[in-house]
Amino acid sequence: MAAKSTTKPGRLGFMLTVPSLLLVLALVILPLGYAVVISMTDFPLVGSYHYVGLANYRTIFHDSQFLHAILLTVVYTAIVTGPIFVVGYGLAMLTRSNRRGSTLLRTMFFLPYIVGLTFESFILYVELQPDSGGVNFLLRILGLTDGSTAWLVHTVPGMVAICVLVVWFSSGLTMVLLLGGMQGVPRELYESAALDGAGRWRTELRITLPLLRQPIALSLILSVIGSFLAFNQFEILTQGGPGTSTTPVVLWIYQVAFTQGLIGKATAGALLLVVAVAAISAGQFILLRDPEANAR
Amino acid sequence: MTVATRPPGPDTLRQRAAAGVSPAGRGPRRGRGIAYATSGVLLSLVFVLPLVWALIQSFEPGTDIAATPSAKDFTRLTFGNYTGLLGSGNDIEHYMLNSFAVALGTALLTAVVATLAGYGFGRFRFRGKGIVFGVILVTVMIPFQAILTPLFIELNDVHLTNSLYGLVLFYVTFNLPFSVFIMRNTFLQIPSEIEEAAFVDGASHWTMLIRVLRPLILPGIATTVLYAFLSSWTEFLGALTFLTSQSKYTLPVELYNLEVGTYGGVNLGYLIAGTVIAMVPCIVLYVSLQRYYVQGLMAGSVKS
Repeated sequence: MAAKSTTKPGRLGFMLTVPSLLLVLALVILPLGYAVVISMTDFPLVGSYHYVGLANYRTIFHDSQFLHAILLTVVYTAIVTGPIFVVGYGLAMLTRSNRRGSTLLRTMFFLPYIVGLTFESFILYVELQPDSGGVNFLLRILGLTDGSTAWLVHTVPGMVAICVLVVWFSSGLTMVLLLGGMQGVPRELYESAALDGAGRWRTELRITLPLLRQPIALSLILSVIGSFLAFNQFEILTQGGPGTSTTPVVLWIYQVAFTQGLIGKATAGALLLVVAVAAISAGQFILLRDPEANAR
Repeated sequence: MTVATRPPGPDTLRQRAAAGVSPAGRGPRRGRGIAYATSGVLLSLVFVLPLVWALIQSFEPGTDIAATPSAKDFTRLTFGNYTGLLGSGNDIEHYMLNSFAVALGTALLTAVVATLAGYGFGRFRFRGKGIVFGVILVTVMIPFQAILTPLFIELNDVHLTNSLYGLVLFYVTFNLPFSVFIMRNTFLQIPSEIEEAAFVDGASHWTMLIRVLRPLILPGIATTVLYAFLSSWTEFLGALTFLTSQSKYTLPVELYNLEVGTYGGVNLGYLIAGTVIAMVPCIVLYVSLQRYYVQGLMAGSVKS
């Protein structure tokens, strides 16, 4: 591999990284420390504040809305992670062979990811309207319903819509991440497997999958963390309603901080979220890491 | 056609594979071709249909969209939603400009900062390098959603809330881990002979970066720029939180207000047309530069 020249002044190297370092220190590390302090006060949006120790943490553990938000987030993550991976994997299998049209297919499948959850949520908002929306129109034409489902004002239909949206959006990203790994699999392995008479599924399971450990790990981590931090689609489609039945953790934080003005309490919940996300990343990383990575 | 008396050897297999014939023979190949084409077409329809539908519907008057239809007849197609959005009253072009300014600013600033850092990490040795790199990477573990509250207070104290500049700084910071990672990899892949030759010719570090290395790092920069632009164009929560006066809104926030009826009644036609307007730059950018975006992601996933 390319050797690093030792004649370069280290100081210049450090200076080159200073802008990035400053930004991160100012807008990530500092707020994090500040968050710990704030979470132990009764900081309001406006006005003076007092130190309250761990009172906020005690409060939120008894706050049914917070607990419900956690439950919703976990259930939501559990529901969508599998389909996102499976669909993404299927798309990757379909488009990895560089046949005629596979580049076009990849473009189409990745398009929802590019457009983004935000704008797609607005579209879906219009299409899920009872009686007039495109989704209901389609269902009525297909004879499945009478077209009057009010998707966005009931908990379960709302969650169904959001889950479908997210799978549609995310599977393209999974596809791309897996494609990178798949195209690195040497042809000879497939050939010798075919020689040995292995069927397609077995080949996939025994040969491809193990070699995809890293891309799989990455796509799962991104998918799970993304689901934990979900906000846009929930706020845009259901505003967390009815009531707070479709309010995930980040939306809870936002509402408590900026609608109820209880910044201290919101920040306490937010810090718990940081811990949870860090734990999940670390756990997944350890579980899925390639045992031979260090040998390379 | 040869009569096979023993299994085909590796060379024959390779020839057949290159010719598009499956190792198993010719029969299954045709069937698989049809399966490929059908599933390809069906799936692409499923993936792209909602967006196409939105485009078509954006030409329907808002009243038609909201009307309980006996049929979606698309007979009264008009540009009405678009003309209504532009110009006095709705001013969608104002919000487009805000979004564009923020996205462009984010993309350029991210590219500069990440390239410098990537050069530093990829090509220099200095004490504490690992620590600095680690600090920047740790941002990945700290989602901005979780430090939104202290970030708001902090930016407020320096008058950077309700400011497009503040938003740009925010977006740049959270783009850094990915971008620095990409640029560092880009620099790591440059053979040192090129630099050694340039040094021998008397080049300074700046000349090196700007003249010698530039063509080699351009793909990495393209990936970074594209990624930063698209992520800030579509970002919602940060913009919603930090921008508090309407004149500063970016497209997602303005569309959100259109949806919840902040300005009075809800016009679904405006909402759909506004969303289509907002989606167009994403799609155009992506289609024309997708090589960089997709390759950046694919390469990143394998090296992670």
